[in-house]
Amino acid sequence: MISFFASTGPIIHVAPGQVMEILGVPISNSILYGWICLIALVVALIIVARRITIKPKGGLIQFIEIAVTFMGNFVESSFEDKKIGRKYVPYFVTLFCFILFNNWLGLLPFVGEGFTSNGFPLLRPFTGDLNATFAMGLFTMVLVYYASVKESGGIKRYLRHFFVGSPKNPLFLLIGLLEMLTDLTRVISLSLRLFLNVAIGEIVIAVFSYLGHFLAPITALPFTLIEVFIGALQAYIFAVLGTMYLAVAVNHSAEHLNEPDGKRVQRIKSQTKVATSEV
Amino acid sequence: MTIAEAINTAIIGKGLMIGGGFIGPGIGIGLIGGNYLQAVGRNPEAAKFLGQALIFVAIVELFGLLAFASIFIVK
Repeated sequence: MISFFASTGPIIHVAPGQVMEILGVPISNSILYGWICLIALVVALIIVARRITIKPKGGLIQFIEIAVTFMGNFVESSFEDKKIGRKYVPYFVTLFCFILFNNWLGLLPFVGEGFTSNGFPLLRPFTGDLNATFAMGLFTMVLVYYASVKESGGIKRYLRHFFVGSPKNPLFLLIGLLEMLTDLTRVISLSLRLFLNVAIGEIVIAVFSYLGHFLAPITALPFTLIEVFIGALQAYIFAVLGTMYLAVAVNHSAEHLNEPDGKRVQRIKSQTKVATSEV
Repeated sequence: MTIAEAINTAIIGKGLMIGGGFIGPGIGIGLIGGNYLQAVGRNPEAAKFLGQALIFVAIVELFGLLAFASIFIVK
């Protein structure tokens, strides 16, 4: 079952493959490893949560505490109203931890070409699958839209923030519609960024361990270390961008909650007048 | 016999794609890093904005990765 890197060229899989079938449901290698990672993460975090103390003891617990506190503080402080921010802390911290663990566990040596089944590697990093990252991106953006509509008090109030002035003006209408369209590309850019970083990292490691022949551990090591850094960075960026999209919509809505329609344009105009007069 | 039959043009295409596709992100990441260091040099308190700089690095990097990913489409 265990196969070394083939000599005909680096084996590269961009798409996940079906490795088994359970009750007629096809199971792909990425989803299999995703479930394994999820169970490992939940078990590890339950153990950590049981052993947590006020005075830090050190060890693994400390690192998890640092990560959770760091992300929690970041999410909370990016909202103007801390009370609103606190509501969304659990989701983004979970997202961060999940992506981070999947990225790092996907770098283990037996993931990839180590074991094969049906001609495909048995295990594949969950985030190295476009379906998985697209699901995460879609879910995050659905939450962002739902929350920003809820926080701004009604869909009409939310949609108004895309328009600079009154939507009856054709120019403002066009700009607003374009703004909405660019908003929808966020799902694609969020999911593609994570998928491409992880999948291409796997490919780069495969290429360099192929070039190294029997010295593969040495030639692949620097790129694996880069991937450790990139995995953490991408997890951070996925969570931060989700937070930013939400925070911008929510903070913006709180600012103009009680303003009638026409005043915004006047206020913006007066602001620009002040700015130009200062110059 | 046309040139396209004699030479494997896919390999040339892939090479050009990677070479050309990484120029832009290379310049972009260089500009971000350079400007970050300049800002820190002028005002050392700006060092705390490393996280924000890295977000822009990731945004720029996406376009290079898109170029890398599209070489698998060329046959």
